[in-house]
Amino acid sequence: MLSDVSISRILTAALCHGGDFSEVYIERSKSSSISLLNGVVEGTSSNLICGIGIRILEGDKCVYVYSNDLQNEEKLIRMAKEASASLSEVPGGRTIYLKPMINYTSQKCEIHPTSVSKAEKILKLRKAAETASNYSSLITQTSASTADVEKDVWIANSDGLYVQDTRCRTRLMIQAIASSGNNKEYGYFGPGSGEGYEFFERYDLDASAREAARIAATMIDAKPCPSGKMPVVLGNGFGGVIFHEACGHALEATAVGIKASCFTDMEGKQIASSIVNAFDDARIAKEWGSYEVDDEGTPSQTTQLIKDGILNSYLIDKIGSRRMNVASTGCARRESYTYSPTSRMSNTFIANGETDPKDIIADTEYGLYCANMGGGSVDTATGEFNFAVNEAYVIRNGKVCEPVKGATLVGKGNDVLMNIDRVGNDLKLAQGMCGSESGTIPVDVGQPTIRVQDITVGGQA
Amino acid sequence: MDNKIKEFVEKLFSEAGKAGFEEYEVYFGSDNSIGVSVREGKVIQYENSDMAALSFRGLYQGQMGYSFTEDFSEEQIPFLLEQAKDNCKVLELKESVTVYEGDKEYPEYSGFSEDLTQLRYEEMANMALELEKKLLAYDSRIEAVDDCCVDYGYAEILIRNSKGMQCFAADNGMGVYVGCRAKENEDVQTYGKSWSFMKRSDFDVDYCAKYVGEHVIAKLGAKPVPSVKTPVVLDKVAARALLASFTGSFSAEAMQKGLSRLAGKVGERIANEKITIIDEGMIGNSPLCIPFDSEGVGAKRTVVVDKGIFVSPLHNRKTALVDGVESTGNGFRGSAKGSLGVSPTNFHLENGTASLEELFSKMGNGVYITSVAGLHAGINGVSGDFSLMAEGFTVENGKVGRPVNQITIADNFFEMLMKIDTLGNDVDYYANDAGHVQSPCLLIPDVSVSGE
Repeated sequence: MLSDVSISRILTAALCHGGDFSEVYIERSKSSSISLLNGVVEGTSSNLICGIGIRILEGDKCVYVYSNDLQNEEKLIRMAKEASASLSEVPGGRTIYLKPMINYTSQKCEIHPTSVSKAEKILKLRKAAETASNYSSLITQTSASTADVEKDVWIANSDGLYVQDTRCRTRLMIQAIASSGNNKEYGYFGPGSGEGYEFFERYDLDASAREAARIAATMIDAKPCPSGKMPVVLGNGFGGVIFHEACGHALEATAVGIKASCFTDMEGKQIASSIVNAFDDARIAKEWGSYEVDDEGTPSQTTQLIKDGILNSYLIDKIGSRRMNVASTGCARRESYTYSPTSRMSNTFIANGETDPKDIIADTEYGLYCANMGGGSVDTATGEFNFAVNEAYVIRNGKVCEPVKGATLVGKGNDVLMNIDRVGNDLKLAQGMCGSESGTIPVDVGQPTIRVQDITVGGQA
Repeated sequence: MDNKIKEFVEKLFSEAGKAGFEEYEVYFGSDNSIGVSVREGKVIQYENSDMAALSFRGLYQGQMGYSFTEDFSEEQIPFLLEQAKDNCKVLELKESVTVYEGDKEYPEYSGFSEDLTQLRYEEMANMALELEKKLLAYDSRIEAVDDCCVDYGYAEILIRNSKGMQCFAADNGMGVYVGCRAKENEDVQTYGKSWSFMKRSDFDVDYCAKYVGEHVIAKLGAKPVPSVKTPVVLDKVAARALLASFTGSFSAEAMQKGLSRLAGKVGERIANEKITIIDEGMIGNSPLCIPFDSEGVGAKRTVVVDKGIFVSPLHNRKTALVDGVESTGNGFRGSAKGSLGVSPTNFHLENGTASLEELFSKMGNGVYITSVAGLHAGINGVSGDFSLMAEGFTVENGKVGRPVNQITIADNFFEMLMKIDTLGNDVDYYANDAGHVQSPCLLIPDVSVSGE
């Protein structure tokens, strides 16, 4: 690890020519994974990653250099000086002194994943794989895996800020495949937590395994999904991916700050139906997408994005705050030191409404019920988004009927938010990975059961 | 190569023998890159990176254990060896394949351009600034160029093992990406494209600006079409994206794990007679050439599908042993951190003879698809079902009509291979926008389109 003196020297070197702000992000993370295919250990890995990212800002212009050669202080200083020289040829700068370090613990890890033997983890995974396999004779394959990471980060900048944070995350992933003739369908369940191995001690792995198997076994007999515009009821939990794609990304300063978002200049205006309230909350204890301090050293916060349909706040990082002249919302994140940080989501969800989810279905004459969602993507400039549905049913006369497969939903964020006409009272969060400019990071999506009046459903039928 | 790395590898080799590994191998990869992004006539981001990583694998008591480091200080060596041993202890499948002694000869290859080593930050910034300026000047409806970057990368790979095999490759390249936004009334459209170059003079800023400008303007006014089963023409970009999503089905690893619908189909018809698919490591002097795979097996040319008949899946040494054949040179790791799997090299659906215009006139009425999105979620890699967001144009009486967006196309990839009506002739393996997976434009009857 670099000493405080070395860090000060690098921050100073980074301002030796141009730049009004310099920042250092040092990371050391230990990760491990184990995967079982049909109950047999197929792969296992242990990785140690360490490196440094040096960022210089001049107004909203950013210079970013990174290296994993932490041993070589002289080389890092040279990289910092070259980076500064790219901003201005005129020598200048100031000497940076660090304030006392502030220690955070975004996730307190009660049982360090590395302290648990691989054999013990394998035993748990094998039992879960057996549960999935025994769920139904249709299940022909299973995979079960775990991944954990313990990450220490140090963030220092030319304002003298110096913080250290410890982050720990653990995840379980279970996949079941059901077969029938030529056909194979997947079921997947992947809970995760901002905890150490204690997550596995208290979590019901068998329930996850049964859920993955249930989805696969249900979908194997499903007919192709109908196509066209129709009302869609989106189940709670991972259904929240619709808000993540249709709205969340377009509220990030990365897009809004350069006016490349469909929600640019909409603060205080109605962007969603008045029954919609939405939050980005990085402060939920032990949650997968939570953190105490962001990757620029700003303490995290709970941000209300939408209040009664009105756009209340964007997600702002440091560059965004300079471009938009508003304070940071503590949402700057990055996958690792190889990425410069930018505004990102943490745990982002639509808040509870008042309707009983049963009444939402009962109130729908014809439409699609999406019980489980897959991933999606969005173009923040146009608001056009898409995401896959992993488990869906046709709704007829207020009743959930036969399962249908292969559905994708597409729409425009601004249309879909205004079209939400029911919000249930069964809020649930679900864990996923979100990929964007600053890499792939853990986030929660979430919502209660909601209904969208009218959305384009793409299926084969 | 850096001397410090060479010394580290020497030391690691001598310690690995002492630690009781029967066979061992290192896979080293390094990557140095600089990138410049501009916006509104100014450089807004400059990136410079210096990365190196090494993976060790060793055979210990019949198991192959892996470990990984980015730290090349000598005290990491015991950690690497210990981790690899620890990982051996929990593996349950006996390792059938050990490290490779190497080919007698490797194809000659030069992915390194002296010209590009002259590239400096100022020149890259100027290229990007000029591209932004010309694109904005192309049409007043182009509101902003949200992304405009030029980058340069230099990468090295070294594979060396206890059987004396040593493979080294160094290559460099320059990339340009530009994405812009156009607006007319309340309608906003975006378009982005990337190219790669082996010579600075190959970058034609006027061509690139015009290409992106034309494409974004053509999208203005796009709206959905009614939901219908209709013939579609996939342009080569959309066809390539779709094919790339299903290359996994042609991997022997997926077949042996029961995760490919093509399992057990070697020798059988899986596509109509118009379809030939080749996987080829070396294609002329292209920067896309891959001279050896991550096991050190030299590049090969594999006929995967010959006139519709499934001839051979793609193999690494392990899957080849199971099937009793030779490796096709497709044993790759994503990076030094990744484990060894099976991936294509340059995977080509071979050209047909029709021009794009001939496909339109043959189709008469239908939809021309120029882009698909949601590939990471909207496909079932095993069954072949896909449902993807798409955009393009209507085709009426053989002529390209109005722009279309907010639709999905859904079908089954394997059924599509049987029903492709006509293949275009527009694959150019040497184009600056060519990728490792290529397909010509395709005319496909009866695709489910969902819109209004």
